[in-house]
Amino acid sequence: MAHPLLSPEGGATHLLLGNEAIVRGALEAGIQVVTCYPGTPSSEVPDTFYRLAPNAKYKFEYSANEKVALEVGGGASLSGAMTLTTMKHVGVNVAADPLLTLSYTGTPGGMMLLSADDPGCHSSQNEQDNRYYGRLAGLPVFEPSSAQEAKDMARDGLLLSQKHESPLLLRTTTRVNHLRGPVEFGPMPAPGKPEGFTRNPAKRVPIPAFARPMHERLLKRIAALREEAEKSPYNKIHGTGAIGIAASGISRAYLADAIMETGLAGKFKVMELGFSHPLPENMALDFMKSVDKLIVIEELEPILENDLRVLAQKNGLNLTIEGKGLLPPNGEFTVTMVANVLRAQVGEETFACDSCIPAELPQRPPNLCAGCPHRATYFAARKVFGDDAIYSSDIGCYTLGLLPPLSMADFLVCMGSSISAGCGASLANDKPVVAFIGDSTFFHSGLTGLASAVFNNHDVLLVILDNHTTAMTGHQPHPGVEMTIHGANEHRLDIARACEGLGVEHIRQVNPLNQKKTTAALEELKEMSGVRVLIAREPCPLHTRRVYKKTAPMVAYVADSCTGRAECLDKLACPAFYKEGDKAAVNPILCSGCMLCLQVCTHIKSKKRGR
Amino acid sequence: MSDIKPIRIMLTGVGGQGTLTATTLLAKTVLAEGLPVTSGEIHGMAQRGGVVESTVLIGCKSPKIGLGEADVLLGFEPLETMRAMPYLRKGGLVLSSTEFLPPLSVAMGKQENPSLETVKEVVAQCTDKSFYLPCQTLGLEAGAVQAGNLALLGALTATDAVPVSLQTLAETIKSNLPAKIVDVNIKALELGVRSLENT
Ligand SMILES: Cc1ncc(C[n+]2csc(CCOP(=O)(O)OP(=O)(O)O)c2C)c(N)n1
Ligand code: SF4
Ligand code: SF4
Repeated sequence: MAHPLLSPEGGATHLLLGNEAIVRGALEAGIQVVTCYPGTPSSEVPDTFYRLAPNAKYKFEYSANEKVALEVGGGASLSGAMTLTTMKHVGVNVAADPLLTLSYTGTPGGMMLLSADDPGCHSSQNEQDNRYYGRLAGLPVFEPSSAQEAKDMARDGLLLSQKHESPLLLRTTTRVNHLRGPVEFGPMPAPGKPEGFTRNPAKRVPIPAFARPMHERLLKRIAALREEAEKSPYNKIHGTGAIGIAASGISRAYLADAIMETGLAGKFKVMELGFSHPLPENMALDFMKSVDKLIVIEELEPILENDLRVLAQKNGLNLTIEGKGLLPPNGEFTVTMVANVLRAQVGEETFACDSCIPAELPQRPPNLCAGCPHRATYFAARKVFGDDAIYSSDIGCYTLGLLPPLSMADFLVCMGSSISAGCGASLANDKPVVAFIGDSTFFHSGLTGLASAVFNNHDVLLVILDNHTTAMTGHQPHPGVEMTIHGANEHRLDIARACEGLGVEHIRQVNPLNQKKTTAALEELKEMSGVRVLIAREPCPLHTRRVYKKTAPMVAYVADSCTGRAECLDKLACPAFYKEGDKAAVNPILCSGCMLCLQVCTHIKSKKRGR
Repeated sequence: MSDIKPIRIMLTGVGGQGTLTATTLLAKTVLAEGLPVTSGEIHGMAQRGGVVESTVLIGCKSPKIGLGEADVLLGFEPLETMRAMPYLRKGGLVLSSTEFLPPLSVAMGKQENPSLETVKEVVAQCTDKSFYLPCQTLGLEAGAVQAGNLALLGALTATDAVPVSLQTLAETIKSNLPAKIVDVNIKALELGVRSLENT
C-alpha cells in the first residue's frame, strides 16, 4: 500500500506530526528537490522524505553540512527546481553565507528554508531566534502554530517563493515540529520536470556592479511581499475589546487557549500574524489605531514588538505597547503564563499554581547506551591521559562522555570546533590536547579544521569516533557510512584516506572494543608531536540492529567470584549493570554484548545470549 | 471547538518504554471519537534512557501542558509519576504504574528511589483521585511487557475523566498496530479495565 503521505488525492484527514505535515505540504506544492543536514527538532522532515524517496518523484539528499545543503538547494532553484532545504536553528549560522546572497540572486524555481528553533533548549546549545535571519536576508517568514498550518504554510510558502523568486523562511519551534494534530489533505499534483535553466548572469552573479541593482530589486521585492502579507489569510484580526494583542508563531495557540480558559474573549482584540515578515503595516496600523493599548505575545526576542513600536512611533500613535516587560525573552511560554497576562490586564487575580512540588528525586540523565563504542574509546583515553590532558569536545552522542565517571569533555563550542578550538588550547598551554569528533561531525566541519591544523603544525591528537552513523539526531547517513536503510553506500568516503589526503602523517585505526590495541595506539600517539589522528571504528549498536540487522551473540554476566570492588560500576557506568546486594550484576536484556567490561574485570564472563 | 470542555492529559515514562506509541494511539482514538485533538512530545534524548514527557489535549490549540494544568496524569513508571506531579492541577486524576524502572544512580546503589508508599502519599496530597496498576505484570499476563502501557490506557477509558470509549481505543489499536501484536494489546486493555474496576 502506498504511504498515505504520497496519496495524490485530497480530502482525507490524518493525525500528523508537525514535521510530517511539512512533508505533505511540500508534496502538495510539487516539491522537486529536498536537501538537508539533520538536527533536532527538524530531522523528521528529511527522514520522512528519505524513507519515502524510493516511491516518490523528488530528488533527495543528506548533504555534508547546512552550507552545502543550502548551496545545493540554491543551485537547484536557480536552475528552476522547486526546492526545500531543512536544518535546525544553529544550522542556519553555518548556512548564513549562501542565504544572504541567495536573497540577492533570487531563487526562480522557488525555495523554502525550514529553520527549526528550540526555545527552552530541549536539544540544543542555545535559544537563538532565527526570525532575525528573515530580517537580515530580507525574506518572507511564515510561522505555523498547528499541524494543519504547518502543512498549508509549507505548500503556500513554496508557491509564494516561486512567484516572487525569493527564498522563504519557514520558521518553526520545537513544539510545532513535535506536535501532532489532524491535517486535512489537499490534492497532490505530479511534480513535473523543473522549468530548466535560463542564462542571465547579470541577475545571478553578484559582482559589485550587478550586486547593487540586485539589492534594489530585493528592496522592491520586500515591498511586494509586504503587500502579500497585507492580504494573506495567515494574518487576521478577530475579537472585540479595547486592549489589543498581537501574537505570532506557537504563541497564537497559547493565546487562544488562554482566552478560552479565562473567559475574557470580550475584552481583547487579537491580531494573529502567521506571515510575520515583512510586517503588514497597513493592517497593523489600523489595528493599533482601534485599541487603547497593545500587548505583544511572542516567544524569545522582542522582534514583532520592536517592529510595532517603530511603526507606532513613525505614525505618531501614542498607545502603550508592552511585550517583553510582561513575558520573558527566554524559554517557552505556557497557557497559564499568557492567561495571567490577560487576567492582570483586566484587573483580575492571577492564577498561582498550587499543585505539589515533590522532594528531590533521583535524576534520569541521558547516558551513553549499553555497548556504546564511545564509552570504550573514552575509557581507554582516560586510562592513557587521565586528568593531565585538555579534552576538546564536539557535538553528538559522544558529548555525553562529559558526565562522570568518564568526564571526557572540557569545552565545546559548535560542530567541528573540537579540532580548531583544540589547536587554540595547544597554543595557550603545555598540557597535551586531545580532541574528540564524531564521524558525521568530521564530514560536517572537521575537514577544514584539520587542514588548517596540519598547515599550522599544531600539536593536537584528534580522536575520530567513527560509529558509522549520525546517531544523535536519529541515525542518518553521512558520506562515510557503509550501510543505509536503503542498502550499501556505494560512494563511501574513507576517513583514514581523507586524513592522509589532508597531510596528516600519524594515523592509527583501531576497534575501540579492543582495549589493548586502543590503549597501545594512544600510548604511541601520545609520545609523538604535531597533528595525530586515531580513528576508533565500531558501529553504534542501535544502528547495527536497525541497518545491519545484527545482534551480538554473547552477553556478559558477573561470576560468583565477584569481590564487590565494583570497578565496573564506578568506572564504566554501562547502564546494563546494576548492584545486587554487595555484588555487581548485568541485566542480559540491556547488555548489547560489546565485551568491554570483560576487559576491565576478570570476574566478568560471557555466555550465549538467551541462556 | 469552544463548546468542548478542554481536557489536558499528561503522559510520562522512561525512554524505550513505549510512552510515545501509547501517546499517539490515545491521540488517534480521541480523533476517532470526532473530538478536536492536539498532542505533543519532548524526546530529545529519549533513546538514551531519559525521561519522556508527552501530552494529549482535547479541545485545545496548544500542544503543551504547563505546571498545574493537567487534568489527568498517566505515569508509566512511579518515579516519573512523582516527578511529574507538579503538572497536575489540584484534584486531577492520576493513573500510575506501580513498577519501578530504577535510574542508573539507583541501580548502581548510589541513590535510593522513594518507596511506592511515598509516591502514593505525595499524590494524595494533591488529589484524592488516583489508581495504581502493576502495568508490566499486566503486560506480561497479556503476552508482552510492552503491552503494559495499554493496560493504563484501558484503565483510563474506565474512568469518567475522558470522553473516550474502550471500543474506539480497541479499534484504533486494530487499525494502527501490526496484526501480530493486536491481540496482546487488546488483552492488556481489558486487564487494565478489570484491574481498575477491582480497586
Ligand atoms: C550546526 C549544527 N547542525 C546540526 C546539529 C545537530 N546535531 C547534533 S549532533 C549531530 C551529529 C552527530 O553525529 P556524529 O558526529 O556522527 O556523532 P554521534 O552522535 O554519531 O556519536 C548533529 C547533526 C548541531 N548541533 N549543530
Ligand atoms: S545511540 Fe549509538 S552512538 Fe548514541 S549513545 Fe547510543 S550506542 Fe552510543
Ligand atoms: S558487555 Fe558489558 S559493557 Fe558491554 S553492554 Fe554488556 S554489560 Fe555493558
